[in-house]
Amino acid sequence: MYGPLWDALIGLLQIKYLLPLVIGTVAGVVGGALPGVTITMTVIIVLPFTFGLDPLQGLAAMTGVYVGGSAGGLVTATLLGIPGTPSSVATTFDAFPMAKRGEAGRALWLGVWASFCGGMIGGIFLIAATGPLAEFAVAFGPWEFFSLFILALSMVAGLVGRSLLKGFLSGAIGLVVTVLGNDPVMGLPRLSFGIEFLEGGIPFLPVLIGVFAFAQIMADVETMGGRGALAASLDRAMTLSVSHGKVIWEILSRPFLLLWTSFIGVLIGVLPAVGGSAANMMAYDQAKKISRHPERFGTGTPEGIIASESANNANVGGSLVTIMAFGIPGDAVTAVMLGALTIHGIQSGPLFIAQNTQIAYGIFAAYILAHPLMVLVIAFGARLMLRVVTVPKAALFPVVLVLCVVGAYALGNNMSTVYVLLVFGLLGYAMVKVGLPLAPLILGVILGDQIETNLIRALMTDADLWLFVTRPISGVLLALSVISVVFALWQHRRHAARSAAADEAEDF
Amino acid sequence: MIGRDGVTGLIACAASLVLFWFTLELEKNPLVPIGPGFYPRLVLGISAALGLALLAADFLRRRGRPRAAPSAPAERLNYALVALTFGVFGVYVLLLPLLGYRVATFVFVLGCSFLLEPPRRAGLWLRGFGLAGVTALATHFVFEDYLAVLLPRGSWTGF
Repeated sequence: MYGPLWDALIGLLQIKYLLPLVIGTVAGVVGGALPGVTITMTVIIVLPFTFGLDPLQGLAAMTGVYVGGSAGGLVTATLLGIPGTPSSVATTFDAFPMAKRGEAGRALWLGVWASFCGGMIGGIFLIAATGPLAEFAVAFGPWEFFSLFILALSMVAGLVGRSLLKGFLSGAIGLVVTVLGNDPVMGLPRLSFGIEFLEGGIPFLPVLIGVFAFAQIMADVETMGGRGALAASLDRAMTLSVSHGKVIWEILSRPFLLLWTSFIGVLIGVLPAVGGSAANMMAYDQAKKISRHPERFGTGTPEGIIASESANNANVGGSLVTIMAFGIPGDAVTAVMLGALTIHGIQSGPLFIAQNTQIAYGIFAAYILAHPLMVLVIAFGARLMLRVVTVPKAALFPVVLVLCVVGAYALGNNMSTVYVLLVFGLLGYAMVKVGLPLAPLILGVILGDQIETNLIRALMTDADLWLFVTRPISGVLLALSVISVVFALWQHRRHAARSAAADEAEDF
Repeated sequence: MIGRDGVTGLIACAASLVLFWFTLELEKNPLVPIGPGFYPRLVLGISAALGLALLAADFLRRRGRPRAAPSAPAERLNYALVALTFGVFGVYVLLLPLLGYRVATFVFVLGCSFLLEPPRRAGLWLRGFGLAGVTALATHFVFEDYLAVLLPRGSWTGF
C-alpha cells in the first residue's frame, strides 16, 4: 500500500498535476470563504475546466476544491462572524467571539491547524479503509448491491430535511428520472416519447448542476435582489500574526478531543449525503458534552473551534471512502467527482481501485498534499479573501450561470444537456420552495440505473424474492435500511414533540 | 382547503400515474421474462403512493390544527426578479445555438447583471460591459483554445 502511495505522492509533485491541485485548492478556499457560495457550487464551477485535462489532473483539482473548501469557510466565520459554508457554522460560535476580543490570529489558526489535523486523521482512514472495504464489496452479488443502494437512499431520505415523507418522495422523483429512456439491462426502448435525446436516458451531471446551482442562486436572488456584496468588509486593523508552535500545541494537547471529533467527522462522511454541516454541528455538540467547562462554549473557547474544524475536514476523508469503495457519493461534491470519473470513462465502484490503481492512489496523494497547500493558501491569502467577499452578487451570479452552461454543454457537445440543466434548475428551485430536500433526488438519479440493473439481474438469476433477506449481507443491509427509517421516524417525532412543548411553554 | 404539501403530493401522484399509464403500452420481450416496464411501474407506483401519502398527511394536519392566528408579516421575497432571472437564462439558452457562445454570453451576462443591479451610475454601466466582455472572451479562450472544450457555434453568426 505504501509503495504505490509514495509513487503517487512523487508523481503528483509534477507540475502538470501540482498546478491543477494548487488551483483547485485556491478555488476551494476562496469558494468556501465566500458566504453563499458552497463547496458544491465551487466544484460545479471547476468541473468544466477539468474536461480537457487527464482524469487524475481533473480529480486532483476537485480534491483540492473539496479540502480547501472545507477549511475556507472558517476564514469568514472567524473574521466576519459569517460562515462561508454550512460546514463552518459551528466554528462561528467560538472563533468569532475569540476574534472580537482581539485574538483573531489565534482563532483563525486554531481553525486552520485543526482542519489540517482532522483532515490528516480522515486521510489515514481513507487510505487504510478504502482498499479493504472495496475488497469486501467485490464479493457482493446483485442482491447485496441492490440492498446497499436501498440503504444509502433510505438513509439520505430519512436524515435530510424535516419530513421523512418528503425525503422519500424526493428520492422517488430521482428514481423516476432514471426510468425515462431505454432500460439499462436490455436497452429496450421505453418512455422516451419520441425524443431522440431521451432514449439514452437523462445524464445526472446537468441534473445535479441545475438543481444545486439554481436552487442556491435563486434563493439569494429572491431575498437580496442580487444587489449588495456577499459580506461587509472587515476590520482592517485586525492582526492575524500568531505563534504557530503555540497554536499547534493548543490542539495537540487535547488529543482525545481531536481524535473523537475527527472520528465523528469521518463517520458522518461515510454516511451518504449527511455532509460536513452535520459533522461540524455534531462534533461541536460532542465537544461541549465531554468538556469540563461546557459553559465556556460560545464565548470563544479553543475546544469549540478545534472540534468543529477537525470534524468538517475529517468528513472529506470519510466521504471519499464511500465513493471509492462502493461508488456511492457521500455528498454533492463527491457526486460531481463521480460525474467527472464517468466523463473520462472510468467506472466507479468496488473494482475502481483494482482497475485504476494509479488514479486511486493519485486521489489519496492529492488529498494529502491538498492539506499543506490549504494552510499555505490561507496563510498568504486570508486578507485577500476578505476582499473577495465584497464581490457584488450581480456580477458573480451571471458568471456562475455561464460556467454551469459550459459544464452542461461540454458533457455531450450539444444543447440537449443545457435544456436538461434549465429544466432541472426550475425543478430544483420548485422543490426547495415546497420543502422537498434535494440530496435524495440527486442520489436517486445517480443510483437509479444501478438499482434497476441489480434488481433485474437478481430476479433473472433467481426469482425468489426472499433471497434479498436470507442472503446474510443483503439481509443485514436491508435490516439497516429499516432501522435507519425507524430512527428517522423517531427523530422526527421527538423533534415535533419538542417543538409542540416549546410552543405550549410560550403560550403559557 | 389543500395546502402546499397537498398540492405537491397531488402533482407527484398525478405525474406518476400518467407515466405509469404510458408504461402499460410497453411491449414485453419474449426473451426476458421481466420486461422493460417492470421497474418503472414499481418506481412510479411507489412515487404515486408517496404523493398520495403527502396529500393525505397535509389534509389530516390541516383538519386537526386550529386556524392559526395572523402572524407578523414575513420577509417579502422578490419572486418577480426570480422569474425574470429564469426568463433571461431561458432566452440565453435559446440564443446560444443561434448567436453562438461569445455573442450570446456577452448579451446574457450584460442583461443578467443589469437585471440584478440596474445601472444607475456610470460605474455600473462600465462594470456590466466589462464583465460581459471579459466573461465571454476569457471563458471562450480558456475552454476552446486551452482546454479543447468545444462551445456552441451560432447558426446566424457562423461563429
